[in-house]
Amino acid sequence: MSENLVAFEHQLGTTSLSMPELLTKEAKEGIARQASFPTTRDEPWKYTRLARVAGLTVAPIAFKGAPALLKGMETIDVIFEKGTWWCSAAVEGLTLQSANEISPESWQACTTKGHVQHLNTLTAQGGIGITIAAGTTIQQPVRIIHRCSGAQGAMVLHHQIKVEDRAHVRIELIFEGEAEQAYSNVLTDFFVGKEAQVHVDKWQNTQGAHYGFYNERIYQERQSTFRMQTITANTHFTRNDVEVFSQGEAAHTQLYGAFFGRGQQLIDNHTYVHHMAPHGTSDENYKGVLWDKATGVFNGKVKVYQDAQKINAYQSNKNLLLSSAASMNAKPELEIYADDVKCSHGSTTGQLDAQALFYLQARGISKAKATEMLVGAFCAEVFEAVHSEYIQTAIAEHLTL
Amino acid sequence: MLEIKALHASINGIEILKGLNLTVKPGEVHAIMGPNGAGKSTLASVLAGKEDYEITSGEIVFVGKDLLELSVEERAREGVFLAFQYPVEIPGVSNVNFLKTAMNEIREHRGLPALSAKEFLSLVKEKSALVELDASLASRAVNEGFSGGEKKRNEIFQMAMLEPKLAVLDETDSGLDIDALRIVAQGVNTLKTSDNATLVITHYQRLLDYIVPDYVHVLFDGKIVKTGGKELALELEEKGYDWIKS
Repeated sequence: MSENLVAFEHQLGTTSLSMPELLTKEAKEGIARQASFPTTRDEPWKYTRLARVAGLTVAPIAFKGAPALLKGMETIDVIFEKGTWWCSAAVEGLTLQSANEISPESWQACTTKGHVQHLNTLTAQGGIGITIAAGTTIQQPVRIIHRCSGAQGAMVLHHQIKVEDRAHVRIELIFEGEAEQAYSNVLTDFFVGKEAQVHVDKWQNTQGAHYGFYNERIYQERQSTFRMQTITANTHFTRNDVEVFSQGEAAHTQLYGAFFGRGQQLIDNHTYVHHMAPHGTSDENYKGVLWDKATGVFNGKVKVYQDAQKINAYQSNKNLLLSSAASMNAKPELEIYADDVKCSHGSTTGQLDAQALFYLQARGISKAKATEMLVGAFCAEVFEAVHSEYIQTAIAEHLTL
Repeated sequence: MLEIKALHASINGIEILKGLNLTVKPGEVHAIMGPNGAGKSTLASVLAGKEDYEITSGEIVFVGKDLLELSVEERAREGVFLAFQYPVEIPGVSNVNFLKTAMNEIREHRGLPALSAKEFLSLVKEKSALVELDASLASRAVNEGFSGGEKKRNEIFQMAMLEPKLAVLDETDSGLDIDALRIVAQGVNTLKTSDNATLVITHYQRLLDYIVPDYVHVLFDGKIVKTGGKELALELEEKGYDWIKS
């Protein structure tokens, strides 16, 4: 086996961020130890082949220096595009800084695990640091837009979002653009303080042969709430890893998702919720809709630690296959070390209800439109949880065939 | 309006309709009666275009068009309406949204402009009153949690909204109490004009007390074996289907 991972890391260059030495060391050793990209024999990549990724020739897109100022926006926007980045002015209670300026100490709570995070730790070329001051409610949504475009670019970013105690914020993570033979690796760390509330709507709609790896790590304190909706539509290759460290008592986590695969697209959603403290709740609900020869993966892992009693963890993954050549791989994983917990999970994969389709068509509605209505109904719970108007509009456009 | 000639249809290789002939003219009400398994619901499904059935021979001409060449939705747009024996529950799709989409697709097909929200809502109000359907049901998901009677009234409400040329009522009386039956029948009678036609498929004579047919046909073993006036229904009720078989 060639050392293709080492070679891949080399072409991404050296990070412009100041990471703690320990983390850098760990990542370096991790890459050296693995040497090559994981194969489908490695459990986390069982259904997702990385050969095409390993074969990419890419050049890093760096976001150095200060961002250009965006004016007159109703949202607080941060835009990463073609090596330039823009940013709205800060508002009261919210500060923005380049990830390049973040001190190593600020990353110390983080770990690095797996080749995607190792690569990010070693090669990230920018990112945004956002801090919401304690007790502040930010009215406008904060929108972080990633537009990877052109050919053979690598967008490796590391964001840090600190929501201090009792602060409230709504964030939109948007991944768009048209790119060929491109690589994205965006890691976002959320530090959610005591009683803080964070709502994230995530929209992935990248055109072209673009290989996207997206990691969100969420560190939740006591009685905090973190909600995230991940909507993936029309992406060639997407791997999402959402990992929640529910560290404080009675924290609530909601992870919802809907994904739409067509052609030969691959959408892989991995979630991992660590219930480390008592009285926590988590609610996961992912819906997949696959056409043509698309492939979907949902792997939802929940771990309840020994002292984390009275946990209520719920997980559901339902999928619709709209073609016989589409395939879905669903795998729930529960690891429970406490004895007084409630964990439930369920997964189903099926076809569109033929009776319902006939009923709609018998009233004059075209098969395509009827399918669209039934798919919309199937995903309604997830769509209703999306607060972002931008994403709501984008979903409606995407689903209108 | 509708001409069915020597129609043979089968499902899973089993022949159900074995040479059925039927002619329906505008303004007429036809009743199709027959014992269980005679092919009554098959006829309804074949008219609506359900793909489970294979048409092995014969033809169906509807207002001059070869109906068998049309898709399910095209038939509906041309004016065929099937009131389902078992209306389907569709969670997550609101009745209003569903009907609005259906109406506008049908109107577009007929070269009419889409209805404004206001026009649509006043139509909903008017037509739901016709079948005494609680207006709040219109905003719920299609048939979800509706009682048996509400489902059937919802079918006739949709029929009133879509104004079909040919309405096929498939065992609309099944599972209805006498009050619901009266309401449904009254709705159907109100919608009757000299331009449209109704095909009432039923096992029992009961419904025909309320929707008076011009013709009664007896369907038996995939064929129409007897045709008469409304008095034939009463005769059947009295003598039972064994009378036909012998």
